Amino acid sequence: MAKFVLMLPHAPDRYTNLGEAEFMELMKDYIGWVEEMSANGKFVGGEKLMDEGGKIVTNTSGSIEVHDGPFAEVAEILGGYMVIEAADYDEAVEIARSHPHMKHNETIIVRQTDASAD
Amino acid sequence: MSAVSDIHTLLDETVRRERGWVISSLVSKFGPGKVDLAEDVAQDAILKALSTWPYKGIPKNPRAWLRRVAGNAAIDRVRRSAREFGVDEDWNFGSVEDDIITPSLSDPELDLMVLCCDPVLEPRDQLFLALKTVCGFTASETAALFFMTEDALSQRLSRAKRHLKPRSGDIARFPTRFALKERRPALLKIIYLMFAWGYMPRRGALLFREDVCREALRLSAALLDHAEGNAATHHALQALLLFQMARLPARLSDTGTLVTLEHQDRSVWDTSMIQDAFQHLERSRSGDVLTRYHLEAGITSMHAQAASWEDTNFGAIARFYELLAKEVPSLAVEVNWATNLLLQGDFNRAQERLNQVSTMPGADHFPGYHLARAKLARSQGDLGAARASLEAARACKTSDPVAAYIDQDMGLSDA
Repeated sequence: MAKFVLMLPHAPDRYTNLGEAEFMELMKDYIGWVEEMSANGKFVGGEKLMDEGGKIVTNTSGSIEVHDGPFAEVAEILGGYMVIEAADYDEAVEIARSHPHMKHNETIIVRQTDASAD
Repeated sequence: MSAVSDIHTLLDETVRRERGWVISSLVSKFGPGKVDLAEDVAQDAILKALSTWPYKGIPKNPRAWLRRVAGNAAIDRVRRSAREFGVDEDWNFGSVEDDIITPSLSDPELDLMVLCCDPVLEPRDQLFLALKTVCGFTASETAALFFMTEDALSQRLSRAKRHLKPRSGDIARFPTRFALKERRPALLKIIYLMFAWGYMPRRGALLFREDVCREALRLSAALLDHAEGNAATHHALQALLLFQMARLPARLSDTGTLVTLEHQDRSVWDTSMIQDAFQHLERSRSGDVLTRYHLEAGITSMHAQAASWEDTNFGAIARFYELLAKEVPSLAVEVNWATNLLLQGDFNRAQERLNQVSTMPGADHFPGYHLARAKLARSQGDLGAARASLEAARACKTSDPVAAYIDQDMGLSDA
């Protein structure tokens, strides 16, 4: 078994104008999914990233600059990530397909972790 | 925890139940002037749960999780406003808690319910506030229950909370025993409405919300423990709730359709609950009052003691309805009475009653009215009129299992 990271980006204003009932309906799908994956032993863990705040630290012009978030001008922001277990990319992609994020948003980025140093 | 639909139900129930509990427990900590704050932080904690649980799963103890997140936010906010008013930052919150909690019913939800029934509030506002804060109804659910717009409701709610503000810090925050007695009728009504809404939601996928019914029953039993002197009326309500609760599972078919009393499998009824109900009914006779709870419990008891639909004493039930219609002249009572007359074969009086109902506001939107019309038309052999009434019933807002029942009646499900 290998570990894969699922990164879940969404449009910056995706959740800002939802009523509680609507938001609840979406999140029930998500929570249902994570419970199911945990029951199957496929879910390793995850972190939700804070919506507000965020910094970008850059060193493009020879000196370090710090820019504040939020990053309203970008097309998508990273909402959070999850770590799952899968045999290979095929299985990881299958799992990503079943994720409610694919119903309610547009993109999941799937990356395998490099376990060779473990 | 396997099926995703189970998780959906679990989350709905958790959010409804814990919202009321968290608000109640925060109000008992921070005082009645902080209902707004308690509602706000409870709401924030729920949203936080919904946005982080997708990454973490549901915590082992969701109540403790929500209470901790909401409690921390409340302390933050109180600290912040304390600083704004120049109060010492090291203000000890532990002692606040000790000060504010005066002898209460030792049940935060019950305490908050009693608080909502403060006589400075109009009776309707007491109800709104309690349903929204204690019972965990959302603004849209509460508004739907009273056929109001959400805007109108939230205006009344914020006015009600303003009225409660000056009561804060009052050493006698928790009412005296005398005041508790005075508030009892309002408390019973809240419990009654909470149960009724759980028993027959007017919309949605569920025929009934068992968690809401159970919570209403729990609150009723807890309040009954604090009853002093003659609690005949409360015993009547308790009997009514138990009779109804005992039948709950029999009301839904395997295919998700409403099953009416006539066709219910009586062996599924909870007999120990029914026995309990009869004991409360017995104790409800000790007073010299006859309330709607007595009459409604009387009606349900007639069904509970009938071995079968055919054995039901419909004559006795009709007499209860006659008294009930005088006590509470409501749409539902009139329609149920008419249906009962139909069952006895008294078509003329049934027709008379239904004509009376047709003039009442809201009749057109009440599916029960159209269903009774259909039944009457059918027994008179007028199948065209029966169908038209069924279609009118189908056009009303109902829960999905009730709609499925009407479809079945129309034979649409076979088509």
